[in-house]
Amino acid sequence: MSDAPRQNLFNLIRVQKDLEKLSGQVLARTPRAAEVVADIAELERDAQNFIYHWTEVIALSNDELAAHFLAKAPVAFRYLDEAAVEDWIIKAMEAFDNRGLGFAIEIFDELERYVADRIHLQTGCQFEQVVGSLRYWIRGLGGRHLLLAIEAVAYTDTDQICLPATIGVLGDHAANARLYKCTAALLWAQNRYGTWRYRALEEAIRSLNTAGDWPIYQCLETVRLRACIARELPGLAREMEALAYPDEAGRAAWAQFMARAPRLVESSASARDSLDHVTALREIPLPPPLRFQGEMFPAKVREAMFKRVPRESSALQKALAALREELTDNPNPDAATPASDPANRFSLSTTEGAGGAADSFELRFNEQAVATSQELADLLASMLQDLGDLLDDDYLAAASRAAYPAEQETKPGQPDLPEYDAGARVALYPEWDYTRQRFRDAFCALTEHEVPFGDEAFVVNTRQRYHGLAKSIQRVFEAIMSEAQRQRRQAHGDELDLDALVDAHIDRLHGREMSDRLYTQFRKAGRDVAVMFMVDMSGSTKGWVNDAERESLILLCDAVTTLGDQYAIYGFSGRTNKRCEVYRIKTFNEPFSGEVRRRISGMAPKAYTRMGVAIRHLGKLLSAVPARTKLLITLSDGKPEDYGSYRGRYGIEDTRHALLEVKRSGIHPFCITIDKEAQSYLPHMYGTANFTVVDEVTKLPYKVADIYRRLTT
Amino acid sequence: MSLNTANTMAERLITIKPYYEPGGQEVAIFAAAYRNQLPILLKGPTGCGKTRFIHYMSWFLKRPLVTVACHDDLTAADLVGRYLVRGGETEWLDGPLTHAVRTGAICYLDEIVEARKDTSVVIHPLCDDRRILPIDKLGQLLRVPPEFCLVVSYNPGYQSVMKDLKQSTRQRFVALEFGYPGAELETKIVATEGGVDGDTARRLVKFGGHTRNLKGSGLDEGASTRLLVSAAKLMASGVTPALACDTAVGHALSDDPEILHAVRELAAAVF
Repeated sequence: MSDAPRQNLFNLIRVQKDLEKLSGQVLARTPRAAEVVADIAELERDAQNFIYHWTEVIALSNDELAAHFLAKAPVAFRYLDEAAVEDWIIKAMEAFDNRGLGFAIEIFDELERYVADRIHLQTGCQFEQVVGSLRYWIRGLGGRHLLLAIEAVAYTDTDQICLPATIGVLGDHAANARLYKCTAALLWAQNRYGTWRYRALEEAIRSLNTAGDWPIYQCLETVRLRACIARELPGLAREMEALAYPDEAGRAAWAQFMARAPRLVESSASARDSLDHVTALREIPLPPPLRFQGEMFPAKVREAMFKRVPRESSALQKALAALREELTDNPNPDAATPASDPANRFSLSTTEGAGGAADSFELRFNEQAVATSQELADLLASMLQDLGDLLDDDYLAAASRAAYPAEQETKPGQPDLPEYDAGARVALYPEWDYTRQRFRDAFCALTEHEVPFGDEAFVVNTRQRYHGLAKSIQRVFEAIMSEAQRQRRQAHGDELDLDALVDAHIDRLHGREMSDRLYTQFRKAGRDVAVMFMVDMSGSTKGWVNDAERESLILLCDAVTTLGDQYAIYGFSGRTNKRCEVYRIKTFNEPFSGEVRRRISGMAPKAYTRMGVAIRHLGKLLSAVPARTKLLITLSDGKPEDYGSYRGRYGIEDTRHALLEVKRSGIHPFCITIDKEAQSYLPHMYGTANFTVVDEVTKLPYKVADIYRRLTT
Repeated sequence: MSLNTANTMAERLITIKPYYEPGGQEVAIFAAAYRNQLPILLKGPTGCGKTRFIHYMSWFLKRPLVTVACHDDLTAADLVGRYLVRGGETEWLDGPLTHAVRTGAICYLDEIVEARKDTSVVIHPLCDDRRILPIDKLGQLLRVPPEFCLVVSYNPGYQSVMKDLKQSTRQRFVALEFGYPGAELETKIVATEGGVDGDTARRLVKFGGHTRNLKGSGLDEGASTRLLVSAAKLMASGVTPALACDTAVGHALSDDPEILHAVRELAAAVF
């Protein structure tokens, strides 16, 4: 046997052995195992190690999935570099986390599709890459606040602009990003320049009787809207022109088509004119769709509009009623029915822009222009887009006359749509997976909850029991406050320090060197501290720990209130990544009231301790508070732990990562724990100096205020 | 009054008519308030012409103007005056407010909410019918001459509890509200001040309007008239519109890359 084949055989045996050592008998589950081993043996040593490592990592989640990975891994290295293979793995793992085993296996099995998509992706542009600035851009162009969302095709329902998840028809990334912008721009223009105004929409639905009519209408509207854009936004129009046509034939076809409807490019043209042209163009072949043409779904527009108009007119009634009250100084609008008095009426004057878009408007009351709040202005702008000239003085009069605005539907918006602008109540947070050295995106779903009121007696008892302690804490904290007093003998200051001046004068008379510290100064601004208390409400705190936590909080709140520091208290718990929960006990804006005390008293043990997501969420709340010093203090009884994989090192690493994230935003994390084994993991999470272990539960109330004092002075 | 002060007072007289386009009745109202010895509060977002207006009024009424830019360390002593030690002796030095009162000038406290709370001690007696300035350290009570006028400005758009004007203070003033001028007027201002043609100015104003749509959703404030004028000046000196809008407006408004990108695209859309 010559050297090379012998070497190959050795390799084969080694790889076979390496793979057999993997946990969970992955190799045994792998189909065509022998071929796979042979293929892997041909790879570089680095690639082999890479495959072993990831097979192990995937097997931690699921053995079956690891087997499917192993079967495809050597093929993957033929087409992709290491980074791309890693991407592929992560994509499958995310599918496993969020959608289940079947979807994850599909991604591994359909490697070829992934390879093709990837080539497409390198030049293509993704929605996520553009949505950030596109959202602002659309908002800046004006009109109703339109949300951006992902759908299979581009269209607008007048509440949102839907765009595809990726656009890759053009050769490079930047061009595809521009195409996104142009697509969104045309859909914005449909909203802005009256394609979907109530009257135009109804007429179109009535008169366009065959399915074939709509594409003609869409092409005509596209011509009209592009003319509007060319007048108002010439720079954008140039960009659109450059991207519009797939080929020269397309350009020529559009030029021909436009020549048949010259009226539409005039500035007075409206959707009505497009409608008038449809019949004449039924026999003419349509030009090929522009790259950014999108689709029209009148039924969806109608549905959205029929939900929006009643909601907005009801809001308008309320706003006008309030405004009228303010203007007439009449606290009781029902008394003299001033609205029916023709003297007290609202009117609206609009300046028409291109395509009948209301460029600007002015609300008048008894022929006097009145200032409108931002909300009212937005509302009127949105209603003008729907109703156009239907929103006339009679409409306003009717709206302002209704003493009791019609009850509006209580459902706000459409909660099930994938919205990018609205702050949904469920917040999604990533989680750090140390095995993959990556975030699991949007992995944790977190919700905020109210804490039910507890027994007031608990508060009273606590205050009684710790009466002496409370007093001494109070004294210590008051002393801290008095430190922020006038400082004497300063080199610079607001006032002369007479004592210092006299001393200096005496020094001078005696021929000694005078001090230049002759001023007094108030210590600047005093304390500027915001602190977030994050309290463990996991099941393990049941009993003593929970009691001690609640007692500590009551004593602490009294003390912190003395200092005038801003503070908030949140509890956290949860069960799995799908149900992470934080409990509002006191927000930053709330005073330490009876309600807060009863909420503290009502804090009860819940489920597990998934700490990372709570730190990310509360850290976000804390960073929104303006303060020079920000503290995130955790009261806890043990390690992070949750149902499923969130235990041991995984939980610790995620928590550590979350703490590093909040530190980067200028927050100082600190942990007070009663876990005696905390020495083994807390230094790794918080750093050696940033935690305290209170060895006896009963001492917690005595210690917490003291620790707080040390931390903040 | 020492010779020194007389000189500075002469310097503070505005002799060349500042460019100002009235947006409404503000000149007449200001003049009437001045005649009636009423203090004036100017409200409005930054860069909408408050300071220019006060310069114009100073010229119009032919009174010197003393401007104090308020900051969070500005105390009553900074306004009224203080003792300094000079050569073993203490010497009194008038602050800008006292100085303005003594010389019958217009005293303009820019961004009054930034100043420390103790400034209200001196502002309040000045602003009601007492019209006096107590100088505790001298044991003096200055009677305020009829030519003196106190003007303060503030920007209500901060939406911070720390930056709000107390009722007891604001209710002493005649308030003039300033906003960005209407499109036509703003176009005229941008063209005149920035030295660009009407079409360019119109586009700049349109662009400004787009950025103002972003107020509250990404930006704290939209582009002020001042920023548009700066952009116009850059363009008049040969800078391309895209670069002028980016440097004079975009980067002045935000550091957020996404917003900057959006603002850039908005500029590209109008030019």
